[in-house]
Amino acid sequence: MGIAEYQAYGYFGLTAFLVFALYSYIYHLYSTDKKDGGHDYENYSNIALNDDISDAPVSPISDDKEK
Amino acid sequence: MENRPLEYDYTVAKMFMFTTVVLGIVGMLVGVILAFQLAYPEVNTILGEGLAEYTNFSRLRPLHTDAVIFGFTFSGIWATWYYVGQRVLKVSMAESALLMFLGKLHFWLYLVGVAAVVVSLLMGITTSKEYAEFEWPIDIAIVVVWVIWGLGLFGLIGIRREKSLYISIWYYIATFLGIAMLYLFNNMEIPTMLATNAAGESGIGAWYHSVSMYSGTNDALVQWWYGHNAVAFGFTVPIVAMIYYFLPKESGQAIYSYKLSLLSFWGLMFVYLWAGGHHLLYSTVPDWMQTMGSIFSVILILPSWGSAINMLLTMKGEWQQVAASPLIKFMVLGSTFYMFSTLEGPIQAIKSVNAIAHFTDWIVGHVHDGVLGWVGFMIMAALFHMAPRVFKREIYSKSLMATQFWIQTLGVVLYFTSMWIAGITQGMMWRAHDEFGNLAYSFIDTVTVLHPYYTIRGVGGLLYLVGFLMFAYNMYKTMSARPVEESELQSASPMGA
Amino acid sequence: MFHWLEKHPFFFAVGVFLVISFAGLIEILPNFAQASRPVIGTAPYSTLELTGRHVYIKNSCNACHSQLVRPFKSETDRYGHYSLSGEYAYDRPFLWGSKRTGPDLWRVGNYRTTDWHENHMKDPAGVVPGSIMPAYTWMFTNKADVDTAYAEQLTVAQFFSVPYNKPVPMKDGSAKVVKMGNSVAEANALALAEAQVIAADMKDQNVKDAVARGEIPEIVALIAYLNSLK
Repeated sequence: MGIAEYQAYGYFGLTAFLVFALYSYIYHLYSTDKKDGGHDYENYSNIALNDDISDAPVSPISDDKEK
Repeated sequence: MENRPLEYDYTVAKMFMFTTVVLGIVGMLVGVILAFQLAYPEVNTILGEGLAEYTNFSRLRPLHTDAVIFGFTFSGIWATWYYVGQRVLKVSMAESALLMFLGKLHFWLYLVGVAAVVVSLLMGITTSKEYAEFEWPIDIAIVVVWVIWGLGLFGLIGIRREKSLYISIWYYIATFLGIAMLYLFNNMEIPTMLATNAAGESGIGAWYHSVSMYSGTNDALVQWWYGHNAVAFGFTVPIVAMIYYFLPKESGQAIYSYKLSLLSFWGLMFVYLWAGGHHLLYSTVPDWMQTMGSIFSVILILPSWGSAINMLLTMKGEWQQVAASPLIKFMVLGSTFYMFSTLEGPIQAIKSVNAIAHFTDWIVGHVHDGVLGWVGFMIMAALFHMAPRVFKREIYSKSLMATQFWIQTLGVVLYFTSMWIAGITQGMMWRAHDEFGNLAYSFIDTVTVLHPYYTIRGVGGLLYLVGFLMFAYNMYKTMSARPVEESELQSASPMGA
Repeated sequence: MFHWLEKHPFFFAVGVFLVISFAGLIEILPNFAQASRPVIGTAPYSTLELTGRHVYIKNSCNACHSQLVRPFKSETDRYGHYSLSGEYAYDRPFLWGSKRTGPDLWRVGNYRTTDWHENHMKDPAGVVPGSIMPAYTWMFTNKADVDTAYAEQLTVAQFFSVPYNKPVPMKDGSAKVVKMGNSVAEANALALAEAQVIAADMKDQNVKDAVARGEIPEIVALIAYLNSLK
């Protein structure tokens, strides 16, 4: 099998994978805020709006440690 | 020290703000000189015959592009990084002596690199590859500077309080990775001092000279994969990072759709890298690559407009702010130019259009409506927003800002309209045949016809430079303007008369 | 999974890197397997020609002149046969350029002479009325750097097997040997021999005197390079 063929299979395979990943990402973005323990992505806009050093983080790093 | 509340530390941001302004003036001034050299060749010997070698168009041209890209734009990127990075990660540089040291080292090494680039380009030491003109010693210095920035970038992310990375951080990370990958591969070269001849002599000739690892068509392919994506990761990705922070912050509006911003990010990452082939249409690179470059360039409209529309929609219901604040004007017009430029680019990448547009001034016009209208406006807006927070003073003059805005907008419009006409005129004249099938015009006909457009372009560039000098003056005076109360700074920046 | 990625900067960066390197992997790397092979009639640059190529690069001639003839009637009428990939096999770096402020130069050796270049580089508007090209007077006094060109010849011969001192097939069936010196002194002697041929066709007395003294002004090397573009 020549390099061109590897190239073609590689291209097809990777593209198919990325298309799949993109669509599942879109599904994830829009479904997660309805689930328990999910996140509303739109909240992350507040990271910029409330960015004083004394403001409470939107998702504090300490959250993880408690779990 | 002990009982003072923790504050963001903008020391490094201030340093880079300074170089943004200074190198911006240098880059744009050289650009204006170049523009007038094309309209009036006498300008080539502006400092006399003796210095003609150093004031000549061809010697100055790489200096212009590199001063604007690696000087003005990258200073702007880093100034905003050392500002935005701390804020959206909610951690101060003052908390880590190491990060502070890396930040300062980053700045000073960068400054040494800039000096080396200016000297070497004026001496004519260049590899000739556009935006990668530097010989290997400077390449190594650039890699070191880049790695230091990377350490600082990931170091700051490592000690963050905000678990989720804000979209701007995504874009800064992508800038770091993208440029690192592109720069390394495009600058693979072998120093000629390594060669030894039959007589056993080595270290022959200039010690800094090197030869590219790639030859001919391959070299072109790698160069334009780099060249096009240097635009992606220098002029698009980090500037998008800026607008996703500064526009919401200045206007007090949340991003219209945060999800769209994430999708556009991945779209841009995937699609942009394929589009480099459009610089090589009808050249000797394989046809399928040319077609690929063309197709992906058109697809690129989607993620680009995804970001741009998201920004404009962020202003939904708040359009009175555009009228009221010159700072918002800069950002909204910047987004608009981004949309314009990312529509124009794909049009030029269509093969039949490219047949006319390639090698002409239309391409130059396209670059400049992107860089003057989008990159320049956005970086100036970012610095305007940062100044009151960094210096704790109100912006010196709002009316000066508004005047600057209109002068520069006029400058950009003159620039791209004249280049648009010049490019299409020249492209059409090159290909024109008379009724017997002979070429209708000699080459010089297609040069002299451009004189008026070159003059208009020079004037447009000059207006932009004048506006930039007003910006520099405004920034300088801001440092001594009226102090502001901390509480005023939630969103809209305070401005003096 | 996605949400996890967004909170782990290292793995996030790996993800971004995979996505951005995809295009390069597919588009660029495989093409390197098939090395750029020279077409028949393409020979490596001689010492003086390569010196001239460095002068061309030093002055960024490529900022205004392309070296790529596209396959259109208007271009082949104006500049000659369209470019073939193999013709660029010895071009490191490539000099296609991105802007044609002046005409293409890939085949300029076919229709311009030493004499024409000499006058034109001194006073472009005097030769081509209306020209906006600046004069390059310093090339008549600056000394060309043959040593560095020689070092480059050695490098490409050593690392990329460029056939110096070996027969290269020509279009008429003959073979051409492009010589490369065995020592710095020999390389300079070869370049000077070429320079004498060029200088014989030139008028500038200072240039002629310099070549007679054994020096090579930049202009001589540049013209040798431009004449080699065919």
